[in-house]
Amino acid sequence: MIKASLLLSFMVLANATDAQQISTIQISFTYGSKVLSMDDSLNQSNDSSVLRITQLKFYISKIKFLNHGKVVMEENNSFHLVDASQINSLQILIDNKQNIPFDELKFNLGLDSTTNVSGALGGDLDPTKGMYWTWQSGYINFKLEGKSNVCKTRNNEFAFHLGGYQQPYYGLQTLSFPLNNTNRIHLNLDVLEIIKEINLTKTNHIMSPSAEAVMLSKIVANAFTLSKN
Amino acid sequence: MKTKFIILSLLLFAILAFRVANDVQFEVPSNFPKPVYEFSKNPLSENKIQLGRALFYDPILSRNNMISCASCHSQFSAFTHVDHALSHGIEDKIGFRNSTALMNLAWQKLFMRDGAINHLDVQALAPISDPVEMDENISHVVSKLQASYLYPKLFYKAFGDSVITGEHTLKAISQFMLTLVSSNSKYDSVMRKQSVFTPQENNGYALFQKNCSSCHSEPLFTNDDFRNNGLSVDTTLNDFGRYRVTKNPSDSLKFKVPTLRNIEFSYPYMHDGRFKKLSQVLNHYTDGIEKITTISTELQKPIVLSSNEKLDLIAFLLTLTDKSFLFNPNYFYPKEIFSQTAKD
Repeated sequence: MIKASLLLSFMVLANATDAQQISTIQISFTYGSKVLSMDDSLNQSNDSSVLRITQLKFYISKIKFLNHGKVVMEENNSFHLVDASQINSLQILIDNKQNIPFDELKFNLGLDSTTNVSGALGGDLDPTKGMYWTWQSGYINFKLEGKSNVCKTRNNEFAFHLGGYQQPYYGLQTLSFPLNNTNRIHLNLDVLEIIKEINLTKTNHIMSPSAEAVMLSKIVANAFTLSKN
Repeated sequence: MKTKFIILSLLLFAILAFRVANDVQFEVPSNFPKPVYEFSKNPLSENKIQLGRALFYDPILSRNNMISCASCHSQFSAFTHVDHALSHGIEDKIGFRNSTALMNLAWQKLFMRDGAINHLDVQALAPISDPVEMDENISHVVSKLQASYLYPKLFYKAFGDSVITGEHTLKAISQFMLTLVSSNSKYDSVMRKQSVFTPQENNGYALFQKNCSSCHSEPLFTNDDFRNNGLSVDTTLNDFGRYRVTKNPSDSLKFKVPTLRNIEFSYPYMHDGRFKKLSQVLNHYTDGIEKITTISTELQKPIVLSSNEKLDLIAFLLTLTDKSFLFNPNYFYPKEIFSQTAKD
């Protein structure tokens, strides 16, 4: 009896500490100073043009935590498909049972080449998720689609499918953020930072690995910031 | 305690025996190299192979439920589309290239004539999605399979899960395709010292080794690489082959070196199906080579063959026909699987 109650109290204690040892990466989207809302009209910064974002999906992979420059914790099977219109996908929970201290977050935007040559994979990597090219093998790392009145395309549509797993068009980007040892990490992607770097009248369609795709992947990586709250 | 142990080990043995009965060991023919495919990541089992066979023959993979893999890959022609220069897909739409013969896929690194596909498991995505082939998408295929009467049961038997995923669908198709091994031609029996070539075949074999085998390397009869074999560009297609994938000018007009196994039955030949007969192919190599910059080094010196030598060479090529492959009942339309719907 004593044994049992001891065990029970130990379990409760363990659970209680566990709850504090979950690190959360919360992802949000803005459009300049405003919160990005999908499918709504958005004004471009310095002119009268209007656009809307209809799809925004990307992979975050190989999440690592570092302390003084050394990797102290890595997530197993770390592949996350983030979809701006799927609220469940905007929060990534990382178990830190041993309460390891860290001061830096590192992750890949997109998928590395090994993952791209590993055949049919499951979970968030399943080809049914709409992030796999079919005419040519390889994942789409980052997908941004929308409409803008400056695009002289069918239905004013633009679509950027960024990928590429082989040099010279390797699209993978590694991002790194210094952290205070916190279990609540908030990443924000400012879509305006991407849009303002693209001349939508000229470039409105990237759908295969190319120099342009790599350049735009870098712009996307730079549009991520760590939020204070 | 002892009896418990015996019961437990018997139980374990029974489970293992069941597993072994269903697991399939991939047999590497004695004269073949080690396969490229990593079987440990998709271990073969009889139930998965049979599921893949059903999927291969089922037009449910296409948008209008009319075109199956087998539509362009029929067994009697070594799993290609005989008599069609360019593949022929949904609503009679004509494709861009001659469909390839399917065999010995476990030994191939890249797929399609331009190597655009990097793994057998994801190969099927290309014809499923191509607007002139099946014009479907994998996520809709999965929902059609899930809604069917037959497939949730077959997936449960194969993967222990009746929830169908893209991964399982593609891996099952791979499993059937991996079983398409052709290794019992007359050539193979000669190599295994079980029979002998005729004098004409023997002469043809010597000519083959001298003129063809650096690209069509034995025993798979392909080096699994890409070459410009001197075909003039068909201006109605403007197909630049591997360049389309790598965007590297040195890959312009290079296409995958195809296997010559079962070539007697896999006509027409070349990426655009321009040659109907083997004699035309040989005439191309002796008299038709266009020396464009990316021409294969092997073809820079002319190949000289007399008309008798060409006949001997063809006699050798016919020894690559494998009737036990072309008529193997394990690859037939699986009517016993599809008739289950009616039975239960």
